[in-house]
Amino acid sequence: MRISIDHTTRYVYERPVRYSTQYLRLVPLSSERQRVLQWNLDTPATPLELRDGYGNILHVLTIVKPVTEIVIRSRGTVETSPAIDEHADEVKLSPLVFLRPTALTRTEGPLIEFAERHRRRAATLTGLRDLAHAIHERLPFEAGVTAVHSTALEAYQAGRAVCQDHAHVFIACCRHLGVPARYVSGYLYLPEREAAVASHAWAESWVVDRWRSFDITNGRPAGEHHVRLAVGADYLEASPVRGVRHGGGEEQLIASALVAPQ
Amino acid sequence: MLSRVGDRIYWMSRFMERAENMARILGVTSNVVLCSTPETQQQNLLAPLTITGTTGAFFERHEVISLPSLIDFMGLDADNPSSIYGCLKQARDNAHAVRWQITSEMWETLNTTWIDMRAFGRELLSSPDATRFFDWVKERSHLFRGVTYGTIMRGEAFNFSRLGTFIERADATARILDVKYHILLPRVEDVGGALDYYQWAALLKSVSSFETYRIIYRDQIRPINVAELLILDRRMPRSLAACLEQIDQALSRVEGQNDHSAKRLSAELQARLVHGDIEEIFRDGLHEYLTDFLQDMGELGQRIQRAYLGAL
Amino acid sequence: MYDEMYDAEGQARRHYEALGQWLASLPPALLEEKRREADLLFHRVGITFALYGDEEGTERLIPFDTIPRIIPDAEWQFLCRGLVQRVTALNRFLHDIYHSQEILRAGVIPAEHVLTHEAYQVAMIGVDVPNQVYCHIAGIDIVRDGRGEYYVLEDNLRTPSGVSYMLENRRMMMRLFPELFEHYNVHPVEHYPQLLLETLRACSPHGMRDPVVVVLTPGQYNSAYFEHAFLAQQMGVELVEAVDLFTKDGHIYMHTTSGDQRVDVIYRRIDDAFLDPLAFREDSTLGVPGLLACYRAGNVAIANAIGTGVADDKSMYAFVPEMIRFYLGEEPLLRNVPTWQLRKPEDLRYALDHLPELVFKEVQGSGGYGMMIGPIATPAERDDFRRRIESNPANYIAQPTLSLSTCPTFVEQGIAPRHLDLRPFVLSGREVRLVPGGLTRVALKEGSLVVNSSQGGGTKDTWVVA
Repeated sequence: MRISIDHTTRYVYERPVRYSTQYLRLVPLSSERQRVLQWNLDTPATPLELRDGYGNILHVLTIVKPVTEIVIRSRGTVETSPAIDEHADEVKLSPLVFLRPTALTRTEGPLIEFAERHRRRAATLTGLRDLAHAIHERLPFEAGVTAVHSTALEAYQAGRAVCQDHAHVFIACCRHLGVPARYVSGYLYLPEREAAVASHAWAESWVVDRWRSFDITNGRPAGEHHVRLAVGADYLEASPVRGVRHGGGEEQLIASALVAPQ
Repeated sequence: MLSRVGDRIYWMSRFMERAENMARILGVTSNVVLCSTPETQQQNLLAPLTITGTTGAFFERHEVISLPSLIDFMGLDADNPSSIYGCLKQARDNAHAVRWQITSEMWETLNTTWIDMRAFGRELLSSPDATRFFDWVKERSHLFRGVTYGTIMRGEAFNFSRLGTFIERADATARILDVKYHILLPRVEDVGGALDYYQWAALLKSVSSFETYRIIYRDQIRPINVAELLILDRRMPRSLAACLEQIDQALSRVEGQNDHSAKRLSAELQARLVHGDIEEIFRDGLHEYLTDFLQDMGELGQRIQRAYLGAL
Repeated sequence: MYDEMYDAEGQARRHYEALGQWLASLPPALLEEKRREADLLFHRVGITFALYGDEEGTERLIPFDTIPRIIPDAEWQFLCRGLVQRVTALNRFLHDIYHSQEILRAGVIPAEHVLTHEAYQVAMIGVDVPNQVYCHIAGIDIVRDGRGEYYVLEDNLRTPSGVSYMLENRRMMMRLFPELFEHYNVHPVEHYPQLLLETLRACSPHGMRDPVVVVLTPGQYNSAYFEHAFLAQQMGVELVEAVDLFTKDGHIYMHTTSGDQRVDVIYRRIDDAFLDPLAFREDSTLGVPGLLACYRAGNVAIANAIGTGVADDKSMYAFVPEMIRFYLGEEPLLRNVPTWQLRKPEDLRYALDHLPELVFKEVQGSGGYGMMIGPIATPAERDDFRRRIESNPANYIAQPTLSLSTCPTFVEQGIAPRHLDLRPFVLSGREVRLVPGGLTRVALKEGSLVVNSSQGGGTKDTWVVA
C-alpha cells in the first residue's frame, strides 16, 4: 500500500539555543519491502548527508546562530509490500555484529532467567515468536512508566512497557541466547485511528539465513503498515533525532505525524 | 589562541587585580572609619559593600556590621567569591588551567600567593594585622604584574593578560572614587574641613596617588582636582584615562576578528577621556558620571567576552 | 634470572663496563645530591602522575632511577625489525576487519571473536583512512625471560602513554650526568616530537599539504595530562579540550580569539566511547557532537583511528603471530608470550589446574589492574580469583610467570637488581619508524614484577648505544 507521511518535529526553547548538533535518521531507504517514491527533509540549515555504520541515511544538522525554535519536517510517500518475509540487507553487514550487548540491552538477574526459558527453540522462527509473545504478555503496553533511557532490565522490572522497551527486552534476550538481533525504528500506520501514524519501534532477529521481523507490541511481524527508517544495535543507535545543545533552558518537544494511505 | 585559554588568562589577571583593589578599598575604609563619629560609622562601613554590590551577601552572614566583620567578609571569607581570598583562589585556578600557556614564573607567583593566603588564619584581623595583610596583597599583585610584564612573550597571552588587568583596574578605580560619594561627613559645615581633607587624603593614598597629587596640585585637596587626577590624567597609572589607553592598545594588538564591537567601544571610551572636561563632569555630577562609566565598562567587558573569549 | 648489566658469572657485560666503572668511582653523597636535584627538577616541570583510587587525587612524582638501561645497537636493530613487522601486520589486520574481512573468511581468527568484540566499531566498517593506517602511535611492551630472549608482553594501540617520560628522562640524564655521555655514543631520542608531528600530518584528510593538527585532551585532571600538554607544546600545536571544538558544515572547528579555525587532524588521548556523545556514550562531556560524522565523511583525521581497541586486548594478542604470517607471509621475529585463552575450555582447565604457577590478566585490563600473579598471591587471593575466573572465563587469559630481566637500580639499601620492561613507541605514517629506545619501567619493590607507575613503579632512561 501507499503511505504518505508528514512528520514535523518541533523543539521550542525557553531561551535562545546558541549552538546545537543533531544526528537525524528520518529518511527511509528503499528495500525489497518498501519503495520510497518521494521523500523530503526540511531543516533550518543545510545538513551534511551520509550513511552511518549500519547503512542508515544519516543527516547531521548543526545550528550555529541563536534560535528559540528548531523545526524539522520530514515527509514523503512510501509504497510498502505486504510480504512478511524478510530480505537481505542493502549493506552486507555480518549479523554477528548484532550479537554484542549494549548498555540498553544487557541481560542481568531476572531477565536472564526469563530468557533462558526460551533457549531450546531460540534458533527457530516459532521459538522467537513465542519469546515475543511472552514478552508482550509479561509487559503490557503502558506509556509513562519507563523513560527514554530505561534499560531492558529496568523495563522488565517495571512490568509496563512501550514499544521501545519491548524491542530492547526482546533484543536482550535474543543476544543472550546467541541470536543476532537488532532494533528497528520507523512508522506504523494505524488504520483504526484516522489518518494517524505513530513513530514506532520493533525488532529483527537473524533466523537461519535472513532477518525476520518482530513487532512485539502488536504481536505480529512487520507488514505493509510498517515503514522502516533505521536499524541499529538499540534505540540510541537508530534514534530518529539525537542531539546536543548549548543553552536554551527548558525544551518542549512537539511532534506530529500524519499519514494518508492511498 | 584558543578562546578558552584567552578567557582563563584574562580572568586570571582580572582576579589578581581585583584582589589588590579589594585591599585598597578596605584600606581606605579602615582609615575613614577610624575617624568616624558614631553617627557616621555605620554608613561609612557600608560604603565598600555598596560600591561592590555585596550588601545583601554580607548581611546573610553577619547580623551587625563592624570593621572586623567587614574585613572578614571582604578579605578572608572563602564563601564570598569577591573576597580577597576568593579572588586569589580564582586567579590561581585560572592559571592552573593554562599552566602551559603562561610562564612558569607567573604560575609560581600565583600558586605561592594562594598557598600563603590559605595559611592566614580566619581570626578577625586586628588593625595592625589588617594593614599588613592589605600590604601583602598589594605586594603580591605588583609581583605578579611585574613577572608577567618581564617574562611573557608579547603575543595573545600578553594581550589578554593586560586587558584583564586594566579592565579590572578601571572598574575598581571608578568604584574607589565613588566611595567618597557614599561616605559621610557628620555635618554640612564639615565640607572642606579637616575630616573632609582626611577622607580625601585616605582615598588618594589608597590609589597610591597622594604624593603625586601634592606635586601636581601643590595646595589643599580639592575634590575637583582629585577627580581630574584619577579620571583624566593619563600620567597617573591608575587613572581611568591611563587604563583605557592600555585597554585600547591591548585590543588593537589582538589579531583579526569579524567582531569589532569591543574595539569600537574601547576607542570611543578612550576618546571621551582624552577630550574630557572636569568642570563639565562635576557640573553633571561626579557620582552620575562614575555610574555611567561603570555601566560602559560592563558593556565593554561583555563585548570582549563575546568577541574573543567565548560567550559561554 | 637474566640481568641486564651482569652476566651469569657476575661480570659486567661489555656495554655496561663503562657505566660500572663510573658508578664505582662516584662518591655516594654526590649521587644522593643528584637524585634530589632530579626530584626538584621533575617537580618544577610538573611531571606527576595522578593515581587512580587515590581519593585526594594527590599528585605524585613518578620515581626516576638514574641508572640507565643500556641496549647495544645490534640488539636494538633486531627489536626494531620485529616491532615494525608487528605493527605493520596489526594495521593490515585493522584494515582487513573493517573491510573485506579476509582473515575471518580464511578461518584464521573466529569471526565471532572479532565481530562481537566490545571494541569492534560498526561505525568504522567500510571507512577508508589515509594510508590505511589505523594505529599511528603504538606502545609495544617488551620483556626478557630468564635466558635473555625478548618477548612481546602486550600491544597498546589505543592511547599509549609514557613517551613524555622517555623524553624528560633523557634531558634529565644529560643535565645531571653529562660526563657519562662522553663514555657512550647514545642514539638521540629528542626528535620524537618532530617524528610524531610528521606522522600526524601524514594522515591529513584529502592529502592536504598544511593540515591543522591538535592534541585533544580530557583536561588537567587526567592522569596523563602532563604528557598531552608536553607533546602539544613540543610539536607546536594547540592543546584542545572538547569545549574548544565544534562541528559545522561537516567539518571540525575550534574557537579561537581570532575566530573559528578549521581542524584537520586530531591526536586524541580520549577513548573511543567518549569521542562523540551523539554516536557513542551520550553522557560524555569529553567529546565533540558530530565528530564521527565528520570523520566518516573524510573531513577530519583522527589518530589513533576509532576502533583500534579490538586489536590490542589480551585475547587478540594470541593471534598476532598468525596475523604476521597471513598478511606478510613472514615468520614473526618477536615472539609472543605463550598465552592460554580461558574462553577455550581446554585452556581454562589447564589454567585452573596450574593456578599457583601462572599470571592471570583481564582481557580488557590495563595499568596492571585486574591481574593476579599466582606464585606470589596469598591462598585467599587465589581462591577469590579462581571464583572470578569461573564466573566469567572469557574475560581472562593466563600466561607463564616470566622472570623478567633485572637491572641495577637505586634502592634504600644502595644498588640492587629490580625487574623491568621496555615500551618502544612505533610511529606509522607513510612509513613505520621508531626512535631508538623507549620507556623503561622498573618495579621498585624487591621481587615485584609489576612495573606500572600507577602501582608504584618507576622509570629509567633507555640508551641504545653504538
